[in-house]
Amino acid sequence: MAPGVQGSVVIDVAAVTKSYGSGRGRVDALRGVDLTVHEGEIVAIVGQSGSGKTTLLQMLGAVDAPTSGTVEVAGNDLASMRERDLTGFRRSVVGFVFQQFNLIPTLTAYQNVEAAAVNLQGGGAPAPRIADLLAQVGLGDRMDHRPAELSGGEQQRVAIARALVNNPRIILADEPTGNLDTETGHEVLELLTGVAASGQRTLVLITHDDRVAAAAERVVTIRDGLIVDDGDAGGAPGGVRG
Amino acid sequence: MFFIRYALAEIRRRPGRTVLTALGLAVGVALVVVVNAVSSGIDRAQQEVLQPLTGVGTDMTVARPLNTSGEGADPFTGLSAEERERLREEARRGLGLDLRSFAPGQRIDTEGFVAASQLSFPQSRVASIAREPGVETTAGSLTLDAVRVEGTVPQSGIAGARGPGGSIQFDRRSVTGVDVTTPDLGELTADQVTSGRYFDPARPRARDAVLSTAYANANNLSVGATVSLGGTDFSVIGISAAPLGGTPSDAYVPLQALQQVADYPDKVTKVLVRVTSVDEVDPVAARIEEGFPGSEVTTASDLAATVGGSLDDAQAISKTLGTILIIVGLVAAVLIATLLTLSSVSKRTRELGTLKSVGWSPSQLVRQVSGEATVQGLIGGIVGALVGAAIAFALNAADWTLEATVQSQAATTPGRGGGPFGLGAPTEVSEAIAISTDPSIAVAVLAVVLAVAGGLVAGAIGGLRAARLRPASALRSSD
Repeated sequence: MAPGVQGSVVIDVAAVTKSYGSGRGRVDALRGVDLTVHEGEIVAIVGQSGSGKTTLLQMLGAVDAPTSGTVEVAGNDLASMRERDLTGFRRSVVGFVFQQFNLIPTLTAYQNVEAAAVNLQGGGAPAPRIADLLAQVGLGDRMDHRPAELSGGEQQRVAIARALVNNPRIILADEPTGNLDTETGHEVLELLTGVAASGQRTLVLITHDDRVAAAAERVVTIRDGLIVDDGDAGGAPGGVRG
Repeated sequence: MFFIRYALAEIRRRPGRTVLTALGLAVGVALVVVVNAVSSGIDRAQQEVLQPLTGVGTDMTVARPLNTSGEGADPFTGLSAEERERLREEARRGLGLDLRSFAPGQRIDTEGFVAASQLSFPQSRVASIAREPGVETTAGSLTLDAVRVEGTVPQSGIAGARGPGGSIQFDRRSVTGVDVTTPDLGELTADQVTSGRYFDPARPRARDAVLSTAYANANNLSVGATVSLGGTDFSVIGISAAPLGGTPSDAYVPLQALQQVADYPDKVTKVLVRVTSVDEVDPVAARIEEGFPGSEVTTASDLAATVGGSLDDAQAISKTLGTILIIVGLVAAVLIATLLTLSSVSKRTRELGTLKSVGWSPSQLVRQVSGEATVQGLIGGIVGALVGAAIAFALNAADWTLEATVQSQAATTPGRGGGPFGLGAPTEVSEAIAISTDPSIAVAVLAVVLAVAGGLVAGAIGGLRAARLRPASALRSSD
């Protein structure tokens, strides 16, 4: 999205806490986070290890639930949704990209993308769309290769294609360049921001890397479970309440 | 179909786990196939033993044995006065030879027929039993001993004639008169004739005889030969397979011919009965015993209890231990498959968590894991069925035999003396019975289905565990 142009709110996190364990072993991963993200924004969440950024990202993707507070994504109040609806949400609203790619080693690049496309009836995205996506991420000639036959950058490209196959409104990327060398990481980052921008998608990514964060329109810093800075990295400002 | 490609890819990815799971189920299936084949083989052998006892196609036999527990029984013989009178009447028939009437030094050379193991009774009983409700067919038979007594009464008198050095020889052969109008029911059926032919039911010749294989071999007799029975010559028209136990006779002749030459007019010693259905066996047996005082009705189940030896032991083992073995084997196989599937799910936690995070539903995860386990079950089932069949065929090829021992009252060996009062002495007949362990295709298919079901159960348990994974926790897993 062009700087200064704000779309509608697509992520609205309010007073979210997340605790693990109980009693003296209790760990507070998030201690009251408020965050608003607009449609089409590219937001980087930065922070040290254990600061709570991955926990926050997983809540946005409905793979974890807050201990308290509300998470509303694309108009869906995740806390009030049943498991069946959450499955549909994960399938169609968000697309995940993981630091370690999380590809299924026995499946080819094509099949790994297909895995995210299969619906409850066993069908899924048409073959041309999967092939187009793989071509779009530069793997048009590597579709039949298994992960072990692909480089780290290529594997992450497969993961990006998998995240895009259901045409989600939001891409959630957890350290997408963390396992890649600088050059490859840069290429992957360009790809991610490119597909986000071209599809008017919102991109929320977690990173340790300042150069990656610099590519975002907005950088949110999280420390000890709290957002301590919500700055503008050259893009549009976001709404910060906490 | 993506799910099938994925399942097959996963199975290829972890060959060790696949082999172990399939092997566990294969052992269970092989156990089912082998135990069933052995058990069925033993059952068939038991039937093979029992069929000649009852007669092929016979549901029960009716005889009139001597009862030794009557009121006022003789302390020496155990026979009641009524039974003693019946025995005397039996002794007046046939040969009617009173050895005590011979003087020392007197030459004896006589032959005729004497009662064998059962008392005779009027042939009209055959018709009356046939009229009982539930009875389909009946056939009467008369079994006697053709006896030849030859020698000189010693100076010490007849009492010492049969002792050591006795000079009087007793030649005894059992002869059964069969109802030739029922060639499929009787003590000798047409099926039992192994060479030559059975009697012509339409025009039976009174002097035709069928010999048992054992008797024919022992006396070098074959079809076309002439054999003297009780002083009457018979033409040998056939040789029959020797049945195990029961009352195998040395020779079989038409019933009317034996009644005539032995002077047992309208008498039989046994009635073979075929009932209309299995359910009729017990009620018909009860009605016959009620309407025929002193009779003894023997059914196939009664005879089963008389079969002993290693065959009987094996059947007892196959019925109890075999069933336990099958159940334990199958349960253990399913448990092993379940544990291995759960272990597999644990090892794939991040993979399954990833699938959940990209939108797979719990039911899709259950279907995927179940599908993989089901394919393993199918592989294990087929391998187990093939291995089980191979073992069963190998047992078959090994000519595995068990010994069956059956109580018999016939004294069939030529020249051997009978029991008290001229009746046949109870003996035990043993025979090695070959156990045919042909595997059953139906059981093998059923066992494969069970293995697939076992895989499905294991997969469902593993799949449910996968479905319950919290995706966030699963994604944190290092696999």
